[in-house]
Amino acid sequence: MGSTAVLKELQGDLENKANDLTKLQKDIAKNHQVRKKYTIQLGENELVLKELDLLNDDANVYKLIGPVLVKQDLAEANANVRKRIDYISAELKRLDATLQDLEEKQNSKKEAIYKVQQRIQSLQAGKGKA
Amino acid sequence: MASRGAGVGLEMEKMSLEQLRALKEQADLEFNLFQDSLNNIRTATARLEIASTALHDLSLRPQGKKMLVPLTASLYVPGSLDDADKVLVDVGTGYFIEKTMVEGKEYCERKINLLKSNYDQLLEVATKKKSIADETGAILQAKLKQVAPIQ
Repeated sequence: MGSTAVLKELQGDLENKANDLTKLQKDIAKNHQVRKKYTIQLGENELVLKELDLLNDDANVYKLIGPVLVKQDLAEANANVRKRIDYISAELKRLDATLQDLEEKQNSKKEAIYKVQQRIQSLQAGKGKA
Repeated sequence: MASRGAGVGLEMEKMSLEQLRALKEQADLEFNLFQDSLNNIRTATARLEIASTALHDLSLRPQGKKMLVPLTASLYVPGSLDDADKVLVDVGTGYFIEKTMVEGKEYCERKINLLKSNYDQLLEVATKKKSIADETGAILQAKLKQVAPIQ
């Protein structure tokens, strides 16, 4: 009788852990998506930087702000693109750290689930024998 | 190369049917992703080549030539060609660079070459992934045949 209560408790615990694991996996998937977006943006900005570097100082650069093409100073455009590249790189690094942390949590959650499952199994085996 | 292939094959022999199936599915999925990327690159390359042709055509037109300017998809307005030597190039992230006709053509060339080399690299990786998927499938088949007669 005591073992049935313990069994129920363990199964409840298992459910909770399984829910936690699902949430962790969703977070990891979202992290991947955001990382993909940032990586694409980084690539695009690096291309732009390359083009800007090829220009002579007197070439005209325009930026599209809404429906308006605004003339920009080459130095300013360079600075802007470089700043964006730095920002995106920093974001990517941050995401990498978060991803590692999430994956560690996922692994330890999986182990914990496994242990609970084993306890449930041994309890059920014990009950079966009795 | 041959010995490496055999090495991978030996590892796969030890895996269970379930693992082999999962591996094959994953390899197939990755290969499909590569195919999509390859198609995208091909489309982009085609568009760049059209742009390059249009540029070249524009360079042949004399200044002051009458033309129809698209304002919307269904509205064209008559106008005359001003300076065909200066072109605005969209380089991404909202930046446009004023270039000469020659530089514009060079830009298109550069982009097309970049895409072509990316395409070749991707093709290499995709072919390798396909061969892994095929090998996994073959071993899976062989294993299934082994198991079936016993049952």
